[in-house]
Amino acid sequence: MPSRADTRVPPLCTWGMWGLFVLVLLGVGVWGGGEWTAGSLLRVDGLTQVMALVTTFVSGIVHSFSRRYMAGAHRLRGFYGRLFGLTLIVLGLTAANHLALFVGLWAAMGWVLADLIGHVRHWPQAQAAAQRARYAFLGGSVLLAGAAALLAWQTGTSTISGSLGAVEGRPGPIAGVAGGLLVLTAMVQSALVPFQGWLLSSMTAPTPVSAFMHAGLVNAGGVLIARFAPVLFAEPAVMLVLVAAGGISALLGQAWMLVQTNVKRQLGCSTVAQMGFMVLQGGLGFVAAAVTHLILHGFYKAYLFLAAGSVVEPTRPSKRTTPRPGLLSGLVSLGAAAAGGLLFATLTGKSILPLNSGTLLVLFVGLAVLHATRAVVRRSALSATPRLWAVPALLLPTIGLYATVYNGVKGLLGPLPAASAPTELTALHWTIAGIFLLAYVALERGWHRASTRLYVTLLNTSQPLPRTVLTQRDQYHAH
Amino acid sequence: MPIKRSVLRARIENAGEVIGSLWPLRTFNAANPLAGFEDQPFDQAVDRARKLFGGRPYPRPATFRQAWENGEINPALLTRRLEAHGITDPPAALLGRMAADDPPGDTSPADEPLDRLMTKWLAAFLDQGQADWPMPNREEGFYAAWRSVAPYDHDGPPVDSPSDLPPTLLDAFENVLTAYPEGQWESIFVQHLAALPGWVGFIKWRAQQDDHPWQAAYPISLADYLAVRLTLAKRMDRAIAPDDAEELPANGTTRPRLPALWLRAWEESYRRRLLDDLSAAADASGADEDDERPAAQMVFCIDVRSEVLRRHLEATGPYQTFGYAGFFGVPMQHERYDGVRVKSCPPIVNPRHRIAERPAPDRETQAATYDGWRRWGEAGRSLVKTLKHNVAAAFGFVEGSGGVFGAALAARTLLPSALFRATDVADARVPGPDHFCAPTVDRVPEADAEGPLPVGLSPEAKVTYAEAAFRLMGWTDTFAPVVVFTGHGCQTPNNPYKASLDCGACAGNPGGPNARVLAAICNDPDVREALRERGIDIPDDTTFVAGQHNTTTDEVTLFVDPDEVEGASDTIRRLQADLETAQAETAAERVEHFRADRPDAPVDEVQRRAADWAETRPEWGLAGNAAFIVAPRRLTRDLNLNGRCFLHAYDWRTDADGTALENIMTGPMVVGEWINTQYYFSTVDNAAYGSGSKVTQNVEGKVGVVQGNGGDLMSGLPLQSLRTDDVHVQHRPLRLLTLIQAPMGRVDAILERQNTLAQLLDNEWMALAVMDPEQDNTILRYRPGGEWTPDAAESAAPASAAG
Repeated sequence: MPSRADTRVPPLCTWGMWGLFVLVLLGVGVWGGGEWTAGSLLRVDGLTQVMALVTTFVSGIVHSFSRRYMAGAHRLRGFYGRLFGLTLIVLGLTAANHLALFVGLWAAMGWVLADLIGHVRHWPQAQAAAQRARYAFLGGSVLLAGAAALLAWQTGTSTISGSLGAVEGRPGPIAGVAGGLLVLTAMVQSALVPFQGWLLSSMTAPTPVSAFMHAGLVNAGGVLIARFAPVLFAEPAVMLVLVAAGGISALLGQAWMLVQTNVKRQLGCSTVAQMGFMVLQGGLGFVAAAVTHLILHGFYKAYLFLAAGSVVEPTRPSKRTTPRPGLLSGLVSLGAAAAGGLLFATLTGKSILPLNSGTLLVLFVGLAVLHATRAVVRRSALSATPRLWAVPALLLPTIGLYATVYNGVKGLLGPLPAASAPTELTALHWTIAGIFLLAYVALERGWHRASTRLYVTLLNTSQPLPRTVLTQRDQYHAH
Repeated sequence: MPIKRSVLRARIENAGEVIGSLWPLRTFNAANPLAGFEDQPFDQAVDRARKLFGGRPYPRPATFRQAWENGEINPALLTRRLEAHGITDPPAALLGRMAADDPPGDTSPADEPLDRLMTKWLAAFLDQGQADWPMPNREEGFYAAWRSVAPYDHDGPPVDSPSDLPPTLLDAFENVLTAYPEGQWESIFVQHLAALPGWVGFIKWRAQQDDHPWQAAYPISLADYLAVRLTLAKRMDRAIAPDDAEELPANGTTRPRLPALWLRAWEESYRRRLLDDLSAAADASGADEDDERPAAQMVFCIDVRSEVLRRHLEATGPYQTFGYAGFFGVPMQHERYDGVRVKSCPPIVNPRHRIAERPAPDRETQAATYDGWRRWGEAGRSLVKTLKHNVAAAFGFVEGSGGVFGAALAARTLLPSALFRATDVADARVPGPDHFCAPTVDRVPEADAEGPLPVGLSPEAKVTYAEAAFRLMGWTDTFAPVVVFTGHGCQTPNNPYKASLDCGACAGNPGGPNARVLAAICNDPDVREALRERGIDIPDDTTFVAGQHNTTTDEVTLFVDPDEVEGASDTIRRLQADLETAQAETAAERVEHFRADRPDAPVDEVQRRAADWAETRPEWGLAGNAAFIVAPRRLTRDLNLNGRCFLHAYDWRTDADGTALENIMTGPMVVGEWINTQYYFSTVDNAAYGSGSKVTQNVEGKVGVVQGNGGDLMSGLPLQSLRTDDVHVQHRPLRLLTLIQAPMGRVDAILERQNTLAQLLDNEWMALAVMDPEQDNTILRYRPGGEWTPDAAESAAPASAAG
């Protein structure tokens, strides 16, 4: 029978986590947007509050879900202890103000997360996956330590707030190098290309861990960018690196997703893409947008992971048809895209004219609206009038809901340095926009399907680490 | 030397025998993973299989310890068995020794690049709709498709262009096999097939399907698999042939091993107790005949889950229940209202009719309302899918919908019971096809062109199925005013193994549709007339009704509006009320086997389980199955069989020539053996023969599951269907005992005719006992080899709890 601790710890942790959530909720409700410091160690600001709210909520869900899902599993105490501990570490991380504390918590976060990926102790493939992740996180921690040391050395302070204040407006080569190291750290943590390997090999983790990882832990890259935005934004080159790295991951992640045949790796590829987009938003100067994205993506991805058992359904092979673009549906879609983009820009304060980096975000929203409208308008099984009404009926609440969350986040982040700092458009921005437009058209027309080489390359570059694949079933002596 | 196609085919087919077919998740089917070994004695087969698949032959020492400490193993029986083999140590010491002998598993991850390459391409080829961009050139078959991608696959051995590779399957085999004598081919094939038993089992299943849409579009066979694998093996310099000739364990078959003895003692302990109970029941119920007309009669599936509900229902009132295969003898393909066609009869039966759900003439408005909602639902799902996967739209979509997903996360995780009630309310508002559809029981010749099977049943077929049902159950008189055919299905969201909890006799689908068909047949006046001529006299006031038993909540839905049944409205209403009582009693019995959140409110508990997306143990399915009883309900009616027995109604007095019994023994009993062996092997080795923990499963290609990052396909049942936790078993891995109440000579004559049945018994894949009513209900046991011995020959001291 399970030990007494195994039966007591799970409910204790779960109630504890929901208790924390309620405390944070009350705290944010009363002191929302305020700041509070504890010596040089902690500094609770808007970012801390937003992340605490989201992290305790998702963690609470994962705790509650696991109560049933993990029932009867070995080492439940260790599982819950790590889950709870990991949440506390993340909370600490968002509140840490001392550089050393921040680095220390960052390293601890990676260590515990790697442990959870390898939760099944006697399964060699799970241990290999955990090791792979641990190395990645150790590497990330070393990079972060380097960045922190450079900042401390250059500014002569040991706090984040102090060093940010000192660097802001006084860019220099040292700050530039520190910025570069921070970008690399964020890329490792958010599994951006070329550091996606650990994430795509991590499906040995119990499903709730994956949900928490994809909804919470990969977000630490975004938090890092938000926290150190003044350092990153001080150097336009660093911002361009963010744009490029984010754009590449967004594109490749979505492309990888196309060829995946198992549900969890497909979700993993989607996370690479969404994290790429979030970093891209940061690189465009919209930290509040990036934070909003990682929150909403967190809900989305946690849901899909927890529902990963739902994909079994009767299917039939279908001949792929590329519908002829109809003039009317085209016009309706373009009109809806323009209207949606305009609404989004107005509600979230993005600029359409003059053109700046915010316009790029409007473009992405416009593309989503365009695609959604096309799909609805072409749905001939539904009668025409309700179909036309469905478009605004879908768009208005979704864009409205997004804008509400965005403005809420922005309000909380308000005092955060560089929460919203659009930049000039460069050739790189135009290139990224162009590539996405091209990719959209190419995929819609099915051009990619002509290249077997592209298919194999996408499949091969998204494979998990060989040692983490269970080809001999008798090696799964997990229980 | 050119290879003869026919020789090659025969060799591949022989080699393929060692791999058990693996059904896709959607139509999950219970099958013995070692079906190919059933021509060998059990102990020898499990040994061979261990060499091939690394699977454990017998329960783990910890499982024996659990059984021993629970008093499930009769110490006297065990000691006698051990002593017969010269073992005199005390059982507790033997448990320790077995645990010490248990080899620890290999803990360094093996990376066999050949296996990995194969699993990568098999997953890509066999995908049934998960990937938006599937593997190119699949329509040309697996070998040809692989040949077209190989030049770009830098994970594999270098290939400059497809023309570097043998152009056809036959060339591929020639290229590799010419170096080996023909006599060695089969062992080569076996080694390569057994390397990935999961995928190979699925290929084997798919290649045998005539009308499988995916197989028709993208064909694959074991030959394809072998051609790719052998070609790769040669180019990668891997071993083609097994290292050495098959080595037999030194005296392995003669020296009995401790686990084998323990298993037999455990089995015998259970069987003894059951047979003693049945003997006592036979003595008690001998003269007591049920002549009085019951208020209602209900026919349930033979499934072990029915027994619990039947027992509690019978306790509520004047009801009689029967056990019959849950497809109700109608070999049909069911076309659901949404157009999806599923096989709805056992794996050993081929469907002969297509039965389609069409809106009943007076329910067209309901159908229209439902259609409206369904179209919006479909549009919504398809919209979400296209937005999720779109390269540019996915980002905006996530932002726009994230809030909704957040709310859904909270609702599904925190309020599963409320969701169960909400679903009920929604179903009441917009009734589903069950409420407005009627099956096409009559022939609809004009619809035949839509598929290979004729739609509906001819008058002759109807009479045949109705007669067969009553003959097999030995039920030719005493029909109550209401007779219910009750199919069964489960209710469980977010569960890849849903089909494993549905009706096994309906190929992993709910059995309600079959029940409706048989009920409609039996209400047909022409059919009744024909039955009367054949000696089955159904009174005019008898109404047949279809229903479905939800095995997760134990709720029984009757597909009838009581007000519409003339003369029987009150009986039906009363029955519905009593079914509710029986549900509560059944749920109360069942929650004891769960770690229940609310043991005090059993119905709420099982309803929560039926709606909870986080629940990995919605119900126990057929866990616990250990016996198959072929006898009238009279015999078992006063016994609590703990949901461990399949019950098939049978009356030896109405089956003088044994035809019905032969059908039961070759049909349901064999399926019982498949189910039982699947549960046995999935329990004794959940990695090699089962599918591991649900917690780390990953659904591959919508057809199967892999563990973690992928690799070989898993087969069998998940851990959560078999164990209460990672250590303790819920399913007791005991081989099936069938008890038939019939004259021994009749059973023996059937075994004479049915060689495969005799083989299953002689090789100890299952056991058989007969309760001979012509010999004063003496129990006779079938011994391997064909001898019958009185049960008392191995009687033991009464079972007592062991410490």
